[in-house]
Amino acid sequence: MAFLFLLPLLVLVVALIAYPIYRAVSLSFTDKLVGYPERFVGLKNYIYLLHDDTFHGVVRNSAVFTVGSVSLKVLTGLGMALVLNGVWRWRNFFRGLLLLPWITSTVIIALTWRWMFDSFPGRGFFNSVLIDLGVMSRPIAFMATPEGAMLAVIIANWWRGFPFFGVCYLAGMQSVPLELYDAASVDGAGPWHRFWHVTLPGLKHIIIVTILLSFIWTINDFNIVYVMTRGGPGTATQVFATYSYEVAFNQLRWGRGVTVSIFLVPLLIVGIALVSRYLLRDKD
Amino acid sequence: MAPWKALTVVGLGAFVLIVLVPFWWIASMSFKTYEQIQFAVSIYVPRPFTWENYTGLWIDTRFPLWLRNSLVTAVVVTVITTVVGSLAGYAVARLRFPGRQSVASLILILYLVPPALLFIPLYRVLAELGATNHLTSLFLSYPTFTVPFCTWLLIGFFKALPKELEEAAFVDGATRMTALTRVLLPLAAPGIVASAIFAFTLSWNEFLYALVFIQDERMITVPVGLNLLIYGDVFHWGQLMAASVITTVPVVALYMFIHRWMVEGLAAGSVKG
Repeated sequence: MAFLFLLPLLVLVVALIAYPIYRAVSLSFTDKLVGYPERFVGLKNYIYLLHDDTFHGVVRNSAVFTVGSVSLKVLTGLGMALVLNGVWRWRNFFRGLLLLPWITSTVIIALTWRWMFDSFPGRGFFNSVLIDLGVMSRPIAFMATPEGAMLAVIIANWWRGFPFFGVCYLAGMQSVPLELYDAASVDGAGPWHRFWHVTLPGLKHIIIVTILLSFIWTINDFNIVYVMTRGGPGTATQVFATYSYEVAFNQLRWGRGVTVSIFLVPLLIVGIALVSRYLLRDKD
Repeated sequence: MAPWKALTVVGLGAFVLIVLVPFWWIASMSFKTYEQIQFAVSIYVPRPFTWENYTGLWIDTRFPLWLRNSLVTAVVVTVITTVVGSLAGYAVARLRFPGRQSVASLILILYLVPPALLFIPLYRVLAELGATNHLTSLFLSYPTFTVPFCTWLLIGFFKALPKELEEAAFVDGATRMTALTRVLLPLAAPGIVASAIFAFTLSWNEFLYALVFIQDERMITVPVGLNLLIYGDVFHWGQLMAASVITTVPVVALYMFIHRWMVEGLAAGSVKG
């Protein structure tokens, strides 16, 4: 009986997830070029990438991008939850409003932020504001500098992701027993003290889960970087997914392209194992 | 308490501003003329106000076709996801069978498998099936992320329903299937609608698979089409922003409708502890 209910899911999993993963691994041991039959080359792709300067850059960029966005999301998510927790009237309305970035298409978000940072066409948002405030006199092409481009992709990714953190932390704050706050107040704890010693410990579990989830999503991000910079200028913002795409679909080296993403698999396995441990413990 | 109150108001104002500025930028630019955008005239408000980007988008580009493709894809994927997800979610939440716990973990693991790992091998598999360059490739590939996510949500929804109702139906001689369709599904309707809207939104916004699997410009979906608008010969930013407004409004409308279930579902799925 249960088997019949699960059959469609199992078919989907085997045919469209497990089998492609198997194909990915076997492809990574070949020198598959589009239009040519694949030949087994052993670990050649892996060894090539280990010595490839661009790939080293990709690892660094991904680390900066991921750590930067995730830590910003945690901090502002906490801020958002604290603020919403203090709002009584219209709280649901504001929670819904602040969640809007999270349901908007990432491509649209990326295109919009790209233009807001850029100096063309017109002047873009940041250039306009900074010029009108008198901070600078002529537009700067932020997206044309390596640091500016990296900052821009981090900001866009942060903007899209922090509302999810905020909503999760708000739910967590609301499940901290009020008695704990009362007890802390009786002991003479001020607001700051209560935050450090009651709220944060109560949120520990959720903070870990959101960091893990967001880490997995962000280090695999393709949309934001591809749409905003195509990995540029140069390779200044090239990350795992965009580099994998670049190698596979522009250089047409499929074996090597797939190897780029396989380098992330060990990290993914650790991340997924940790998340499962935390989330499945709750499920029952 | 007053300084904290003031801080809350200031903080709320700041967050609302941060969230709204990009939306305002999109909306405002969509109503500007080409010249106004190019020469940075009246940057903050559309003056003069024009609909020309919307009409131009509709008449001069393939946007209506892309919108149709996106809609067809999202609807088909939502239906597939809802059927597969409800069956599996029900089984894991309600039936007793060996390996139930492993199925639950499997679903979570699948939900976290990144598309960035799958897109190259999936492309090959779909090409061998002859499904690339057609919406079929999206009907087949999108469930790889919508089904795990929605099943995960639905397990939670089904678990929350009272068991007694179902048992009463069995006493009255109903089979598993009638119990599911007549008793449980109507009760689970809010959860199923919420998960369907998630599936719809995820497919509506998907970009990587759509970019890789389809090259034919008449078969692409909106997110891929939007990218073509800027990498064409002329930069049609006004039209691009108009397209963004048109694409975002339906999702926001759906979302307002389910906002409460959605937040509760999310909170129950990822946070409870």
